[in-house]
Amino acid sequence: MIKRFSALSPSWLFAAPALLVYAVVVLYPSVAGVLYAFTDWSGIGEGMSFVGAANFRAILNDEQAMGSLGNTLLLTLAIVVVQNGLGLLLALGVHAKLRSRALLRVIFFAPVVVSPVMVAFLWKYVYNPDPSAGLNGLLGLEVDWLGDPSVALWSIAGMVVWQYAGYSMVIFLAGLEGIPAELHEAAMIDGAGTLQRFRYVTWPLLAPALTINLMLSTIGGLKLFDQVFAATNGGPGYATETLSTVLYKQAFVFGKFGYSTAIALVLALFVAAVSLVQIYYLRSREVAQ
Amino acid sequence: MRRTFLLEVVMIAAAVAFMFPVYALVTLSLKDPAQLSQTPLALPNPPTGDNFAKAWSAAALAPSLVNSTVITVVSLVALIGLGSFAAYFLARAHTRLGYGLYVLFLLGIVLPFQLGMIPLYRLVTDLGLIGTHAGMILFYTGVQLPFTVFLYTGFIRALPREYASAAQIDGASHLTAFTRVVFPLLRPITGTVLILNAVFIWNDFFTPLLYLGGSGFETVPVSVFSFVGQYVSDYGLVFAGLVMGALPIVLVFLVLQRYVIKGFSSGLKG
Amino acid sequence: MTDLQRARMSRGQFFRMMGGLAVAAAATACSTRPQTTTPTSGGTGAAAAVDLKFVGVADQKAPMDALLAAYQKVKPGVRLTASYAPTDQVQTSLRTQLGAGNAPDLHVVYPGNGSAMSMSQIAGAGLLADLSAQSWTGTIPTGFKPALQMDGKTMMYSAGSSVIGAIYNKKVFEKAGVEAPPTTWTEFLALCDKLRKAGVTPIALGAQTPWVTQLITYALVPSTVYAKDPAFDDKQLAGQTSFAQSGWRQAMEMYLELSERGFFNDKPNGTTFEQQISMVATGRAAMAVQVSAVLPDFRKSASSPDDLSMFPVPGADSADQVWIPAGVVVGLGAAAKGRNVEEAKAFIDFLGRQESINSWAKTISAIPLTQDAGSTIDPAVESFLPFTKDRAVPFMDQRWPNAEVQPVHFAVVQELLAGKATIDEALKKMDEAYQK
Repeated sequence: MIKRFSALSPSWLFAAPALLVYAVVVLYPSVAGVLYAFTDWSGIGEGMSFVGAANFRAILNDEQAMGSLGNTLLLTLAIVVVQNGLGLLLALGVHAKLRSRALLRVIFFAPVVVSPVMVAFLWKYVYNPDPSAGLNGLLGLEVDWLGDPSVALWSIAGMVVWQYAGYSMVIFLAGLEGIPAELHEAAMIDGAGTLQRFRYVTWPLLAPALTINLMLSTIGGLKLFDQVFAATNGGPGYATETLSTVLYKQAFVFGKFGYSTAIALVLALFVAAVSLVQIYYLRSREVAQ
Repeated sequence: MRRTFLLEVVMIAAAVAFMFPVYALVTLSLKDPAQLSQTPLALPNPPTGDNFAKAWSAAALAPSLVNSTVITVVSLVALIGLGSFAAYFLARAHTRLGYGLYVLFLLGIVLPFQLGMIPLYRLVTDLGLIGTHAGMILFYTGVQLPFTVFLYTGFIRALPREYASAAQIDGASHLTAFTRVVFPLLRPITGTVLILNAVFIWNDFFTPLLYLGGSGFETVPVSVFSFVGQYVSDYGLVFAGLVMGALPIVLVFLVLQRYVIKGFSSGLKG
Repeated sequence: MTDLQRARMSRGQFFRMMGGLAVAAAATACSTRPQTTTPTSGGTGAAAAVDLKFVGVADQKAPMDALLAAYQKVKPGVRLTASYAPTDQVQTSLRTQLGAGNAPDLHVVYPGNGSAMSMSQIAGAGLLADLSAQSWTGTIPTGFKPALQMDGKTMMYSAGSSVIGAIYNKKVFEKAGVEAPPTTWTEFLALCDKLRKAGVTPIALGAQTPWVTQLITYALVPSTVYAKDPAFDDKQLAGQTSFAQSGWRQAMEMYLELSERGFFNDKPNGTTFEQQISMVATGRAAMAVQVSAVLPDFRKSASSPDDLSMFPVPGADSADQVWIPAGVVVGLGAAAKGRNVEEAKAFIDFLGRQESINSWAKTISAIPLTQDAGSTIDPAVESFLPFTKDRAVPFMDQRWPNAEVQPVHFAVVQELLAGKATIDEALKKMDEAYQK
């Protein structure tokens, strides 16, 4: 079967125009950009010399870069777990036959369409320390959401989860809608309760949705920049500095473009490695089931 | 029945809590400065449209809306055309070339944009496209292709092959088979591609600032944030600006929202 | 609409030509390129339209817009389009444009050294046009020269200087029974105490906004460091002294004293510049240590602009040992490799006229670079004038050797306020950044 159809494969020319644009806008500049990682270029002017791998060695001794790696991982972990957990709960909720489910879906997804920088502006107000305004006013709390170094990172995670839980929800929902109703009916006839049906029917069949969700939220978390930059700019102190904000500052605030590119390259390799491991592990889980 | 009702109540409560930041945004934009500081959480009483009137004229949003619309619409057309074409090949070619190209496209999702920023800026300058709509359209088409190709490829892989094959047996070329038979079947995922790319392009702030700043062709986010930068201390005014900047894309989403969910669901079946 | 269309046409041709130029420029790499465009005299007719681009920070919009309109009348043949954005974004886009060799004709430049967009860093890379031939540069006061000049050549324009001090709400002071602004540190502390007992926050601090963190140290360091050792900068550059070994320690201690005695609002690290403004403008706080350039922002938020005034923060216990920070305000320069260098320089020459200086300075409550009968000085900053002759020092970062010290200063102040670092650790980090 497969053989017969692959003889009918379309020509590679179908991909050629896209490949051309992609190569011009993304591939060529990225490859050209990588070269800067081996120089001491400031980012402006002509002065530049090749320094070999010195920039990469410097990362290891850079307290700020290493500290930001820790923050990045914590932030990513928090976002991946909470965003997908919440997304799954919301999906299960709006998958049920509720009268308001169409409206609920729209509400939960709506923050996705607003720009991250705007969301950060808005949440800076929501995270106002004033006990009579924002979240504190609503909940009767006196938390210094963005100003307390031990809270700020989690506040940023909260803001990101608020914006993207709906995204996870939609992907899980798609997975749920793909599960044939007969399977649930069969399980019910066998006397399985709600939890058991979730454990043995729903959860295994959600695997493809879970793979995509975990991958997208991990990449998003590791590369997170706009929200952190607009909400705290890495502060207070260095409490919310992430790899992306550090590499930004090295390039545009400190004038160390070469070094910044080295960090960007490390980040890219790191993200690629994590996604590959995830895809490999999760796909093999999908197949096993 | 009772359990569904209980669930409905819980979900509605969750939605209300979820809406709190939006409530803050909208109510604050309708308050005058006195209400802002004295009753930050209450409903605006009386509501005032002053902030909106002031923000509309100060941020010069009318021309920006035109620029944003042109750039977004043309980029979307290019993305859908190029992306679906490429994905048709990537999904159907079970060759090393097909797989290699697919991975090459996925690489684009992982690369941080900072890496190629300066070489790309040089290139766009040399092409004479700085300060033009064309430059922005080229940029968005390029950077959003990986994600677009990823979505389309997943969807096409899940489509039964028989449709296109049947058409070909009838003597149609791949091109005709694709445009007449396959592409119309892609409608749900095209809806998803449309909304997610529209969101990205409409909201992008940094690239238009870099490529269009000072050209007179600024997009909505650039105008809104330059406005926000000047009136930082006036929350009512700033929030009115934010509401107006987000409104067009929110409306587009409300119109297209059915497709977003449908597109995902059909894309995942494979 | 027709106007827009025409702009597009001419811009299109312009860039096509430009693309060719860029290729040619790449071919001839470093050779000093001859002036590619002969200086267009504005008067020769409408056909010789020149497009100039200016990229500035949001604070520059108000003064620039007025002057752009005036320039349109002087030189109708020159079309100058300006765009403004928040500082961070401008920094990013300008550095990218400069890096790719395509800077706008005119752009924001920070005086002195110490930031990635400062005069020394950009001029050092050979990217700013020399303005020394213009007549206004002949009258730059000596104290301003280090901020605007490199190796004796003027590389940027600025309309004047602003000071750092306490912006205060007069009504709040009256209500609390404060008669005159304090002149010594002890009096300043007593004032804060009095205000606190009267039930208002003495000092609003918006330390969530990074640049706001530095202002209190900057207000104190002139008295604790420079009053004792006016040559501190040179000695520090020569490695003879450091932050840790100087009056910087005392300034940090004073900063923390204000914090520990509860003179700041609750949770300064979570409070933004915008909230700081609103606290003082609405009378919930009595004052804020700020740059005079933001006086207009405070006034906009107050019920009456007359509610606000300013006084120097006394950082010493004898009034004659009090020095103040007075820094050159952010200005602009012309790109050395721009397409219309001469036209860009001509605009700066226009900004150098006394009327232009007066107009710019007035809009942002600055003290004009040079003064004549038409100069006005904001009454709120009059109390600073006695200091400006011999007891004023430029903002500290303008003499720092690299762009890393300032962000470290922001971060350590936030850590100090959060109780996450000691003064020793903070000064050590700043010294390390200084050495880089």
